[in-house]
Amino acid sequence: MNIKTGRILSLILRYMILAVIILFLLFPIYWMLATSFKTNMEAYQYPPTFYPDEPSVSAYISLFTQNNQFFVYYVNNFIVSGITAIVCTLAAVITGYAIARFNIRWTVIVASLLVFTQMFPIVSRMISLYGLMSDIGLINTRTGLVLAISAAQIPFCATLMSSFFRNVPKEIEEAAYVDGAGRNRILFSVITPLVKPGMLAVGIYAFLQTWDDYLHAATLIQSDNLRTLSIGISLRYLGELSYDWSLINAISVIGTVPMVLVFFFFQKYMIKGLVAGAVKG
Amino acid sequence: MRSLSKKKGDMYYAVMLTIPALVLALLFIFIPIVDSVIKSFQEYKVRNIIAGLPGEWNDFENYKNIFISGSLPTAIANTFTFVVIVILCQFILGMALALVLNSNVRFARFFRSIMMTPWVVPTVISALIWMWLFQPQYGLVKYFVQLFSGGEVTDFAMLNNPDTALMGVSIAALWKQIPLMTLLLLAGLQNVPQDILEAATIDGAGSLRKFFSITLPYLSPVVKVSISMSIIENFKQFPLFWTMTGGGPDGATTNLAILSYREAFVSMNMGSGAAVTTIWMALMIITIGVYNKLFRTQDMS
Repeated sequence: MNIKTGRILSLILRYMILAVIILFLLFPIYWMLATSFKTNMEAYQYPPTFYPDEPSVSAYISLFTQNNQFFVYYVNNFIVSGITAIVCTLAAVITGYAIARFNIRWTVIVASLLVFTQMFPIVSRMISLYGLMSDIGLINTRTGLVLAISAAQIPFCATLMSSFFRNVPKEIEEAAYVDGAGRNRILFSVITPLVKPGMLAVGIYAFLQTWDDYLHAATLIQSDNLRTLSIGISLRYLGELSYDWSLINAISVIGTVPMVLVFFFFQKYMIKGLVAGAVKG
Repeated sequence: MRSLSKKKGDMYYAVMLTIPALVLALLFIFIPIVDSVIKSFQEYKVRNIIAGLPGEWNDFENYKNIFISGSLPTAIANTFTFVVIVILCQFILGMALALVLNSNVRFARFFRSIMMTPWVVPTVISALIWMWLFQPQYGLVKYFVQLFSGGEVTDFAMLNNPDTALMGVSIAALWKQIPLMTLLLLAGLQNVPQDILEAATIDGAGSLRKFFSITLPYLSPVVKVSISMSIIENFKQFPLFWTMTGGGPDGATTNLAILSYREAFVSMNMGSGAAVTTIWMALMIITIGVYNKLFRTQDMS
């Protein structure tokens, strides 16, 4: 009897913890969706309505018609994030392979240098890059932005990638070497195909991180037509005194959707990658 | 003979493969960092950039100013308060959720998957979501506070009150970061051997005892890495603060990131901003160093 009530109590406790934390994590998402489908009049009702009384897509229509500078930022964000993800994945493959396979002093130093780079705040780099990049004409260009962000992403990506290379048995490489394959052949045609899931995890990680960038674009980009999402939103839509909250929530929904899709579509690889990077790396 | 030349070739090859990443890190990380440390000792403002003038040594003027004005000590205190609150709550809540999801609750897989959603929401957008919830006239949180206080508190404005603003930003940070913490702890829980837990149950150990004597020690490598990742992330947190409060009200949420950005890019005094970031880097390296040391001694005992 006693054991049984104890078990029931612990079960109730567990479901309560689950419900409270899941509610905390998911309710704000619901609230964003609900507000985006309200008219601005209804969003400004107090007390608030818990679901849209008259569901309306007026915020989305205004986003597509009047406030469509948003889509310039949106497209820029796709371009910058996509290119950065490719650059980071390529760099992570060769660097990660070197770190995982060649246990010489050089690669050990490189590995610890890369870890060390994570300690430096972005503002600190930007104070200097702002001047340096003007000197070499890379300020206010996408190339400059991609290079600066990639440099910041590659260390973690390479470390993550190396943990995938470590899982490839060394015998495969030795067999290929005996068969007379050159080093590049071994790396690119024999080993790299085996770590495709890792490349996917690294690429998506870099994409998500770049999609989220604020400080690089805030300091390195000046013209409105090159701005990326985060900085574009905060400069254009948050400047005014009276916020149009249903519009802002519609922007939030559209800005989040690609990330949610990418994540849930590649969830298996992402989770494996994140866990490999943090738990085993 | 062949193996010797192979070894040498391997070495050249390894060096070659690491060159691109190293060059990028050198150009966009290490050189700028050294350069900004140098600038922190100089009179260096926006006119130096425009006119191409080099900075001039100014006898620690930048450091003196940020100390004397009191902005630096406040920013340091805010940074540490934020890091400690967020990491403590994140660890406790993340651990609770991970333990529940690791037990035999229904739909654990489904919850494990959807709970990740806040993690993929871009930081600026999570700031917007919480600003709207905390909105001082029409916000939902204000409504709930009014409801649960029996109509007594009718003007609850989380982000506009210097006493609660830091808490408001911390909640948004927690919301975004709990999922990853939970995911990593869940992965770590897979490594806790079931047979030892069962043996302890047979020996009559309670749940708490099992958690502290078996589960936690097996989890400690995962805990160590995920907390140090979290320290670095929250030490550097910028967009959440900048969007939600801009460092206000009355400097209550000005952390080191906000202070340095404001000095360098709003007041356009790069030298002063660099002084803040130099101290910030030093603090971060010391914090991580102390953290690693504490954790190491704990591992051995």
